[in-house]
Amino acid sequence: MRLTLTIAFIFFFISIHAQTKVSGTVTAPSGAPIMGANVYLEGTYDGGSTDEKGSFFFTTSETGKQTLQVSFLSFETYTTTDEVSTMNDLKITLREDVNSLGSVVLNAGTLSAGDTSKTTVLSPMDIVTTAGSDGDYIAALQTLPGTSKVAEDGRLFVRGGDANEANIYIDGLSVFQPYTATTTNIPTRGRFSPFLFKGTNFSTGGYSAEYGGALSSVLLLNTIDEPDQEKTDISIINVGLGLGNTQKWKKNSLSINAFYLNLKPYQEIISQRIDWIKPYESLSGEAVYRYAFKKGLLKIYGGINYSNFNLIQEDINTPRGINFKLINRNTYLNTSYKGTLGNDWKITTGVSYANDRSDIKIENTAIDNQENNFHAKLKLRKRFSNRFKLSFGTEQFINTFTEQAKSPDFTTFNTSYTNNSTAAFTETNIFFSKKFAMQLGLRAVHNSLLHDTKISPRASLAYKTSDQSQVSIAYGDFYQNPEQAILKYNKTLEPQKSSHYILNYLYQHNKRTFRAEGYYKSYDRLLKFNTDTPEFSSIYTNSGSGYATGLDLFWRDNKSIKNIEYWLSYSYLDTKRNYKNYPTKATPNYAAKHNLSLVTKYWIEDWKSLISTTYSVASGRPYNNPNTPIFQNQKTKAYTSLNLSWAYLISQQKILYLSVSNILGADNIFNYQYANTPNSTGNFSRRAIRPGADQFVILGFFWTISDDKSDNQLDNL
Amino acid sequence: MKTIIILFTLLTITSINAQSSYEKGMNKAFETWKNKKPDEAIHIFERIAKAEKENWLPYYYAAQIHITTTFSIQDAENIESRLSKAQEYLNEAKAITKENAELLIMEALLNTAYVAYNPSIYGMKRSPKVEQLYQKAKQLEPQNPRATLYHAEWKMGAANFFGNDPKVFCPEVEKAILYFEKEANDTPFYPKWGKNEIKRVQKQCSK
Repeated sequence: MRLTLTIAFIFFFISIHAQTKVSGTVTAPSGAPIMGANVYLEGTYDGGSTDEKGSFFFTTSETGKQTLQVSFLSFETYTTTDEVSTMNDLKITLREDVNSLGSVVLNAGTLSAGDTSKTTVLSPMDIVTTAGSDGDYIAALQTLPGTSKVAEDGRLFVRGGDANEANIYIDGLSVFQPYTATTTNIPTRGRFSPFLFKGTNFSTGGYSAEYGGALSSVLLLNTIDEPDQEKTDISIINVGLGLGNTQKWKKNSLSINAFYLNLKPYQEIISQRIDWIKPYESLSGEAVYRYAFKKGLLKIYGGINYSNFNLIQEDINTPRGINFKLINRNTYLNTSYKGTLGNDWKITTGVSYANDRSDIKIENTAIDNQENNFHAKLKLRKRFSNRFKLSFGTEQFINTFTEQAKSPDFTTFNTSYTNNSTAAFTETNIFFSKKFAMQLGLRAVHNSLLHDTKISPRASLAYKTSDQSQVSIAYGDFYQNPEQAILKYNKTLEPQKSSHYILNYLYQHNKRTFRAEGYYKSYDRLLKFNTDTPEFSSIYTNSGSGYATGLDLFWRDNKSIKNIEYWLSYSYLDTKRNYKNYPTKATPNYAAKHNLSLVTKYWIEDWKSLISTTYSVASGRPYNNPNTPIFQNQKTKAYTSLNLSWAYLISQQKILYLSVSNILGADNIFNYQYANTPNSTGNFSRRAIRPGADQFVILGFFWTISDDKSDNQLDNL
Repeated sequence: MKTIIILFTLLTITSINAQSSYEKGMNKAFETWKNKKPDEAIHIFERIAKAEKENWLPYYYAAQIHITTTFSIQDAENIESRLSKAQEYLNEAKAITKENAELLIMEALLNTAYVAYNPSIYGMKRSPKVEQLYQKAKQLEPQNPRATLYHAEWKMGAANFFGNDPKVFCPEVEKAILYFEKEANDTPFYPKWGKNEIKRVQKQCSK
C-alpha cells in the first residue's frame, strides 16, 4: 500500500511538472501581432513559436523562478524572470532592433564604399575598376557627386572648396601628405595603393565631430583587418613594375608591396606638350603588419616614397620657360589599435607620423623644406544600449616646418614654425526608433601657434520615410588653419570657418540606388593677401568670405541591364568667394557649374573581359581676362573625356589590362594664363593651360600567385 | 528495500527520459524541418543550443537551415538578416569547439550564399574566404565527403565563370562518393548529409 502510494505520488509529481502552462501574445510596438517568434524558458527545451495571431502556448515541467525569452529577427530579444506558474496570458511587446538592416542610417553628406550593403553606393571593387582611375582611388572618387573634375590638379575638390579643404584619414589617423609631390598643372595621385583598403567613407560635408581641420570634406580609409590568404602579386606595366606579397602566420599577417614608376620610356614614344628634362620617376614601398589580440587588433602601416622630376614650365611672362626641379622623400607611419574593454566599452587609439622633405629648384633659387607631422588620438565608445551610444576622445597634433631658400639674388632666407593643436570631441548616437535617429557632436580645438580656441557643434538627423527611402539633414561648423604657404610668413591669423546645411534623400531598392543631396555652405574668415602669391612681405587678413550651394544627384542601377552595372552622378554648383588676392567675390577657376559622370562596367562572359567606360563632362570653368573690366567673368569651353579600360582574364590568375584616357581626343582647356603686362597693342596676351598630353595609355600584365589559384588582381586595377 | 529499488528504478527511468529529451528535441527539430517549417525548426534547435551549452550541433543545424533557406528567397532584407543570424550561430558553435571541419564547411556555404545573393558587393571579399575555408576543412579532415564535394562544386563554378573546363574536378566528386561510403561517426546527430547532392553536382561531368 505504502509502495502504491509512493508510486502514485511520484507519477503525480511528474505529471504536475508536465502540466504548467505558459501562454501569451507577442506584438510589435505598432500593436501588430508577430508571427514566428521563438518563445522559451531559458536553459530548457520547453518553448514554442507564435502563430499568426502572435499567440503562443506550451507546457513545461519546470517550476519556480524561470526566465522566459522571446526572440525574433530584427527585434530585440525580450526576457522576463518570474514564477512559471504566473506566466499566463502574457502580453509581450518586442522592441525593434535598431541595428537591423531595415533601420534608418545617419548618412547625410556621406558616400560610403564598403563590403556591407547598408547605404553603400560603391563596392571596393568599383573604385578600382573605374576607367580612367588607373588604380588611383582619388580619381575614382571624382566620379561621385559633390566633386569637381579638376584634371590638371588631380586632388579632391568638394562642393566649391579648394583641394586644401579636404582631409584624408587612414584608420582614423591623419594622413598629412596624401598626394604625391608635384607642381602646378601636373596632376597628382593618391600615394596609397587601393588594395590595402577594405572600405571608404567619403564625406562631402556635415561630417562627424571626430574629425576637424577641413572646411569641406573628409575621406576616411580603413585598411583590411585580415587578409584572406597568402599570395604574391606581380604587375608589369608600360610605365613601371610592382611587386606585392602577403604572409599569414598564427595571429599575425604582413602585406608588403613596392612599385617603381618611370615615365621616361613612355614619354619618348608619345609626344608631350610639356618639355620634360627628367620625366617623373618614383619608388614607393608600403607594408602593413597586423596582430590579432584576444580582444583587439593592432595594425602598423608604413609607407615610403621617393620621387623626382625636372621640367621646363611654360610661362607667358618668360618665353623660354621656367626650369623646375623637385626631389621629394616622404615617410609615413600609422599605428592603430581597436578593441573592446568589456562592459560594452570600445577603445580606438593610435598615432601617425609623417616626415616630408622636398628639394626644389626653380631656376636659380634652391628651396629645401622639411615638415614633420604627428597625430595621436584616443577614442572611447560606450554602448549603453542599441539605442544610445556615447563616444568621446582627445587628439594631439604636432607640426613643425622649416624651409631654407637660397638664391644668387638674395641671401639665404629661413622660415620655420611649430604648429600644435589639441582637440577634444564627443558624440552621441540616439535611436528613437528604427525609423528615427539623431547624432549630436561637439568638437573643441586649441591651436598653440595662433593662440586660438574654437568650438564647433555638429548635428544630424535621419528619418525613414518608407521601407526603401529615408530623409536626413545635417548641420556643422568647421574650422581650418591657414595653409603652410601662408603660415610660414604670418602667425597672427585666425582659423577659417565654414558652416554646412545639408538635406539628403536616399532611395534603395532591388539593387538600385537614388540619392539626392542639397546643401548650402557658408565661408567666413577666409584668408586674403595683397600680392599675386603669398610672400614674406604680403599683408594677410582674415577678411575673406564666400558661399557654395548646390544639388548632388546619384543614380546607380545594377539590375536593369544584364551584365552591365552603371552609375550616373550629376552635381550642380553655385559658389562665389572672396579670398586670396581676389578683388571681389567671384567663382574660382576650379569650380565648374555642372559636373556629370557616367561610369559603366560591362562583363562579357564569352570574352572573359570586363570593359569599363567613364564619361565625364563639366561645364566651362571661370577664368580672369585682364582685357575685360570684370574680374573672373570668362568661361573656358566645356570639358569632356571618355575613358575606356579593358581587363582580359587570360586565366584565373593572369590579367591583361589596357586603359586609354580621353579616347575621343577632346581638346580640353582648363584655364588661361595672362601676361603680367600688356603688349604693344595694349592687350594682355595669354596662353591656354592644357593637359600634358591629351591621352594616356596604360598596358599592363598582372599575375597573382597563390595556393588556391582563384584570386586575381582585378580588384587592384 | 523493495520500495527503494522501485523508487530507484523509477527515478532512473525519469532520468533516462531526461537524457533522451535531447534526442527527442533534436528529432522533433529535424521532423519540423522536414515538414517545411524551417523557422520553427530553427527555434527548436536554438532552444536546445541554449540548454546544452557544450553542444555545437544544434547551432550548426540552426545555421544550416537559415543558409539553405536563403537559396529559395529573393527579398534582400530577409536574406541579409538570415545570413547574419547564421553567422551568429556559427560563431557560438565555434566558441564551443575549435578546429571543427564541419563548421568550416558550413561557414564556406554561408559565404557562398553571400556571393550567390549579391556577387558585385560580396564576390570580391568572400570568394577567397570560401576557398580558404574549404582548404582548412580538408586539412583537418582530408576525407571529409562534404568538404570534398562542395569544394569541387565551388571550383566547378569558378571554372565555368572563367571559361575553363569544370570536368577536371570530376575525380574529386568520385572521391567524395567514396568518402560518403566510408563515413562513420558515433556521435548522435553528427552531420552526414550531402549524399543526395552528388547527382546534382555530377551533372556537370556528363555534359
